[in-house]
Amino acid sequence: METVLKHMDCRNFAAVDVAKGICHRTKKLVLADAERCEHCVSTQKCKFCLHFVAAEQYLGTCNAVPEQPMTYPDLITVTCEKFTAALPRTGNQQQDATG
Amino acid sequence: MARTLTQIPEQSGTPIHSQAGGRASEKAVDREVKKEPCPRAKKLRDLYFQTFSSASNEFPYWYTRRYNQLEGEIPVVRRAAALKEAFSHLTPTILPGELLVMGKTHHYRGSFPMPWLSEGYYMAKEDELYKVALAKGSSTVDELSQFGNGGGNVTQSFGNVVSIAGKFGMRREEIPALLRTAREWVGKSVDDLGHKYEQMVPAYPMKEAVMRAIVCMFDSGFTLPQGREVINYYYPLEYGFDGLIHMAREKKAEVAGRADGDGWAGMNRLYNYEAVVLILEGIQSWILNYAKEARRLADFETEPQQQREYRDIAQRLDSVAHSKPTTFPEAMQMIWTVHVAVLNEDAISGLSPGRVGQVLYPYYEQDKAAGRITDDEVLEWLQLQRVKFTCIDCFASMGVVGGVLSGNTFNNLSLGGLTKDGRSAANDLEKLIIEAAIRCTSTQPTLTVLYDDKLPEDFLLKATECNKTGTGYPAWVNNRGAIDFILNQYGPEGMTVEEARAVAIGGCLETSPCSWLPLHLNAQEYWILGGSGQPTSVGVHFISLPKVLELVLFDGVDQRTGQGVYPPHGKKLESYEEIVAVFQHYFRLTVDCLTTTNNIQHDVWRKQNMAVFNSLLKPDCLLKGHLINELGYRYNGTYNVESCGTINLVNSLAAIKKLVFDDQAASLEDLKRALSDNFGFKTALEVGSFSLAEQERKDETGKWDRIHYLCLTAPKYGNDDPYADTILKEWENWFCRMCHDYESLYAKPMYACQISVSTHAPMGTATIATPDGRLSGTTFADASLSAYPGTDRNGPYALFESATVWDHSMSQNSQMNLKLHPTAVQGMQGCKKLLALTQAYMRKGGFHIQYNIVDSKMLRDAQQNPDSYRGLMVRVAGFTQYWVEIGKPIQDEVIARTEYEAL
Repeated sequence: METVLKHMDCRNFAAVDVAKGICHRTKKLVLADAERCEHCVSTQKCKFCLHFVAAEQYLGTCNAVPEQPMTYPDLITVTCEKFTAALPRTGNQQQDATG
Repeated sequence: MARTLTQIPEQSGTPIHSQAGGRASEKAVDREVKKEPCPRAKKLRDLYFQTFSSASNEFPYWYTRRYNQLEGEIPVVRRAAALKEAFSHLTPTILPGELLVMGKTHHYRGSFPMPWLSEGYYMAKEDELYKVALAKGSSTVDELSQFGNGGGNVTQSFGNVVSIAGKFGMRREEIPALLRTAREWVGKSVDDLGHKYEQMVPAYPMKEAVMRAIVCMFDSGFTLPQGREVINYYYPLEYGFDGLIHMAREKKAEVAGRADGDGWAGMNRLYNYEAVVLILEGIQSWILNYAKEARRLADFETEPQQQREYRDIAQRLDSVAHSKPTTFPEAMQMIWTVHVAVLNEDAISGLSPGRVGQVLYPYYEQDKAAGRITDDEVLEWLQLQRVKFTCIDCFASMGVVGGVLSGNTFNNLSLGGLTKDGRSAANDLEKLIIEAAIRCTSTQPTLTVLYDDKLPEDFLLKATECNKTGTGYPAWVNNRGAIDFILNQYGPEGMTVEEARAVAIGGCLETSPCSWLPLHLNAQEYWILGGSGQPTSVGVHFISLPKVLELVLFDGVDQRTGQGVYPPHGKKLESYEEIVAVFQHYFRLTVDCLTTTNNIQHDVWRKQNMAVFNSLLKPDCLLKGHLINELGYRYNGTYNVESCGTINLVNSLAAIKKLVFDDQAASLEDLKRALSDNFGFKTALEVGSFSLAEQERKDETGKWDRIHYLCLTAPKYGNDDPYADTILKEWENWFCRMCHDYESLYAKPMYACQISVSTHAPMGTATIATPDGRLSGTTFADASLSAYPGTDRNGPYALFESATVWDHSMSQNSQMNLKLHPTAVQGMQGCKKLLALTQAYMRKGGFHIQYNIVDSKMLRDAQQNPDSYRGLMVRVAGFTQYWVEIGKPIQDEVIARTEYEAL
């Protein structure tokens, strides 16, 4: 399902708290839930990973390891060695796998 | 309109004074000392002011995922591997302008739940949290733009943010995963397993009743199993992480398969060293992830200075991940990284950096001498460190974080004291630490001066200047008294006078054992110091003394709930001595049932959830190959019994003795009826204020006026009146000694700890009126030796006489707060007066004193207009907190404290 991506899905978004962050490009505070700008570069999250299988809302499984553990779409995975981008991670046609 | 307790005596010509030593001006007076932070620190502190307390599921997710993969592994290795996985996967966030980097989570003010300690809270709330999480998000910008109002507590859910425990915000997208993760720990968490086994203690039903009646506030085993201790940064500073891994690997080879005479735990050393290697590797990955992020940002950055700073950060982190630091900035980064790593390992409140100005002095001295750094640059680093420490949050339940801690994390930095060979230990870096705290006022780290007559006057006057910022820090602690306590408690474990001089304060004001260790830097040797004892946040926490008295007077039945708590004593209480004897009996029952049940919780903790990283930092774990759970620490007798409401107990016993037995002005039955009827007043909840002075009468019948008047005018502690003071002395002599009769799970005697933190508010709420005239539901006197508000009528020196009738070194601490009007200590003369006042108390044997130098009128205004006071701080008990982030009962209590207008 196609959804609008947000500032919090951007690699240049440095989280300050659960509601906002600082954009590394502009150095300004931006709201996490506001729609991303045209300079957005998608960050790594489970929902953008080839190994992610969406399940019920906000949940899914990780197929990168044999145990196939539970995971969730918005888990940030910039440190995950198994992350494999499922889709092109720039541009405005990005798909969200939150189900 | 109903009359308040203040208005009643005013109308009869005998007003209750909230001011002493003169009258304050009608106009609110601001604090005398006000300076600005450096621009970098100001920007980052201002950002903190706009930041919500934020929880995330990242660390619990990765921890649990790895833990599940290792079913059947040796427990300490399994835990270390899970910690390694979690540290390795924390998302690094670096904000523009930061020099000191890394944090608990990717949020600026972040924390996370630890369901392996306790998952019951989320399970109990599961349905509610799910509903909020799955409800359609209506995240309009207007809704989200509310950030910054009323402090950082997320008291209500909004937009896509779900409020947890009335304090933490979590993204709704993370809630189902958090609940799923928490469910994995049902029946396995320290809370659940501890509960299973604590029920086998015969006195368990009494423990439950004690908790329900709020005679005691919380279980320490699964809420905050560590803390109120002094961290030790020595080993990473001396060896670096590569060096420590190398050492642990060598030790593994040395001990593998060998018991070396210890048939119980000798073989465990192999697994412990394996766990040490794993956790250190995890922490290295965590640091290197930040270094990688700094390089990424440097590549992306277009502004030259910021780009340079990102590259410097990356270089520092690369170095700190592997090697021992060689410069002041590297040492600052190293100790901050180590501090956060310990905080992420376990739920900890009160992890104090200790005498960090003395730990960092070698780097400061050498960098200064080599022209590598200036005092201005050091001041900037120290202010940035303050902002970082202030961002620390501790995730726990509402009762613990709100009711006990007021949201504080108690990172207490100690200053002064003595060197290993007994000279003043104060140094120039410590003066810069004080200056940084004056410029960049913030709640963390709070400061404590370990007062000794050997400390130089310019250092002491600098500390009084800091007091006049109105932040409540530094607190003043009696160094000699602390050494006496340390020697008494830890002598059997080998403590010497020389080592006792390394003492520092953990948490609010918990006297903690520390040790000297030789640091080598560029071919020079320095003796630096750090914590070497177990946590002191553990044991029996806290016992409400006025509540126990209520149960004595009412035959073991809680008057708030009507439930029986203790076995009925069935006595008529025909003498004061009989009341004291029953009190002591009930108190012993309380300590016994709480000690045994908490010992079981802690025992489960040590079997399943032992500290690996914190352990390896403390002498002598690395040397022995035993962690905290196997008595690896040098000092292990740290469990204590904490009390609350001492002065209300003392004043109440004085009133009973005087009214009922000496003067026979009222019968005990009449007094009990008056207490039950709250002396004819409404409850504090009905009135909406928790301050005694603002309580309102139910009606104008005046049925209990006479008896209430007698209670209020009975002898009170704080006036150099032997009638009340003797009761305090007898209580302290009994209490401090009886604690030694109880044994922790480590088979060490317990001791008295007398701090209130914030418990005097919720415990007051749960206690009916007391014989000292205090009304139902109102807050107890704060601390352990502060006078009850308005009852100290003879000035501070009379208060000191009362407070020092007993030997404070019998206890881990005592605590006294004084509220001074800013004009009372104005100018340099005022600094000298403040120092003389402090010295007078210390020289009489007082253990601790701290000052709120603030105009009460400003606090009242702040209560009405919180948005205008985001940065206002007050001293609550052993800690400073932002006014807007503390609950109303404590705000009322701080306002009500007697304000001294002159010294």
